[in-house]
Amino acid sequence: MSTITYHQSDGTARTLTVEDGTTVMRAAVTAGVPGIVGECGGQAMCATCHVYVRDEHLGQLPDISDDEEEMLDCATAPRDPLRSRLGCQIPIDATSDGLAVDVPESQV
Amino acid sequence: MDAHSASSTSAAAATCPFGYTDAAAEPVSSAPSGPEATSGILAPVAEWVDPAQMMSNPYPVYERLRAEAPVAWVPALNKYLVTTYTECHQVEMDQEIFSADVSGATMTQALGARPMLRKDDPEHAADRKAINPSLRPRNIKEAWAPVFERNARHYLEVLADRGPEAAELNRDYAAPVASQNLIDLLGLPEVAVEDLRRWSHAFIAGTGNVLDDPQIWARCEAARAEVDALLADLIPYYQAHPNASMTSALANSGLPAEDVAANVKLTISGGMNEPQHMITNMVFALDRHPEQREQVLADPELWPAVFDEAVRWQSPIGMYPRETTRPTVLGGVQLPAGAPLGVVVGSANRDRTQFSGDPDVFDIFRPKQAHLAFGSGVHLCAGHWAAKTSIGQIAVPLLYRQFPTLRVDPRRATTWDGWVFRGLTQLPVTWNQ
Repeated sequence: MSTITYHQSDGTARTLTVEDGTTVMRAAVTAGVPGIVGECGGQAMCATCHVYVRDEHLGQLPDISDDEEEMLDCATAPRDPLRSRLGCQIPIDATSDGLAVDVPESQV
Repeated sequence: MDAHSASSTSAAAATCPFGYTDAAAEPVSSAPSGPEATSGILAPVAEWVDPAQMMSNPYPVYERLRAEAPVAWVPALNKYLVTTYTECHQVEMDQEIFSADVSGATMTQALGARPMLRKDDPEHAADRKAINPSLRPRNIKEAWAPVFERNARHYLEVLADRGPEAAELNRDYAAPVASQNLIDLLGLPEVAVEDLRRWSHAFIAGTGNVLDDPQIWARCEAARAEVDALLADLIPYYQAHPNASMTSALANSGLPAEDVAANVKLTISGGMNEPQHMITNMVFALDRHPEQREQVLADPELWPAVFDEAVRWQSPIGMYPRETTRPTVLGGVQLPAGAPLGVVVGSANRDRTQFSGDPDVFDIFRPKQAHLAFGSGVHLCAGHWAAKTSIGQIAVPLLYRQFPTLRVDPRRATTWDGWVFRGLTQLPVTWNQ
């Protein structure tokens, strides 16, 4: 179980309490958090679940796979070299509690 | 290859092959999933829906359904049609309640086995995993864009030879380009475009064969036999000599032979007509909106927006099936378990609650919103990057580069057909010699 906070560019934020086993993308889509589309359902095929992970949480993330690396270059919002990740590739598990991300202004 | 122009060199730095710039787009809110099955009205019955009318132009029917009964039982089709964006998206996002493994699937009967399109996760994920890597943007750009360009250039010569009095874009360019691209992407050596078209149309006729016409099943059986004979040689060949093709990826995936064959046939069914229709759709759209055409011809960076808006406006796939696994409520309507649904994305893509301005209007400058022309969720079209590249960035831009004065010929008939699968059956074109 983790708490994940999604910050919007207008200053609002939403904090979810999420069970282990899902992903940052899936939790957001299920809860109706705006700005995370997840068009491909989590297969790293669409780059529409792009998030900017806040600096203090970068150490909690798994390494970027080759597929995620490639797809991040296709995200419509600018890619941040350190903070940009695909939400569908960030699992909710023992290491993700307290994670905070900024939702980009565009996904499509 | 540059994302926007087949012949210029690419820009520096790690850029997406699709050259996305920071387009200002509205954040899209996703509908929450998991409706509670505790309330809701009985489904309205839309007795007035006439499938024959939809075959020629479904959009007025879609508009009325969205307004009156976005989740409606349609007796003429024996299905509940879902026609609004939010509800279609909700269905696609929840494969537990809305299964793709529909009862009596005509597609399964047509192809001889269940393809990935009629499975849910985790079964479905295993099939998709076999082909996703080959269809991501970088592989499409590096391995396939040169092939797509070669095929486009070949058929541009055929079109030129037809001349501006007789050229018909669907027959002379769109169909053979789409067919040859798929032959190459699948890796089916020495298969002629006419053979692939015949197989594809047989399988699609079978998929649509709700009236159980035995002649259509016979055509499917013949097509299956031909494809199976081909695969009997190709699968062992690719296992010994893998290459970048989809059949090679499937042959080496560890999937059982039956699934390899079903998914090759699925790709033959689903990967040809839609790119073909996108070529003619884009030309039709630009022809009807000359001010937008002029801007595109002056600025090739606009081609991705042309493809995206054309696929929204005239979606080659209008509807696909799902089935409820338990009683549920969708759009305020009660659905029983085992309810056969038609997810009408062709209608969802015209929904004013999702698209600003007038969604019935083709406008490449409209604010970007997610559309459902490639579906969404786990079944999001695996070939969507291949389609965007082969058609949106290569086949149509090269066509206009060769024929800058290309236009629809008003002296000959332009015809549309279909709603489940919709496209131009004839698009006569002309140009200044």
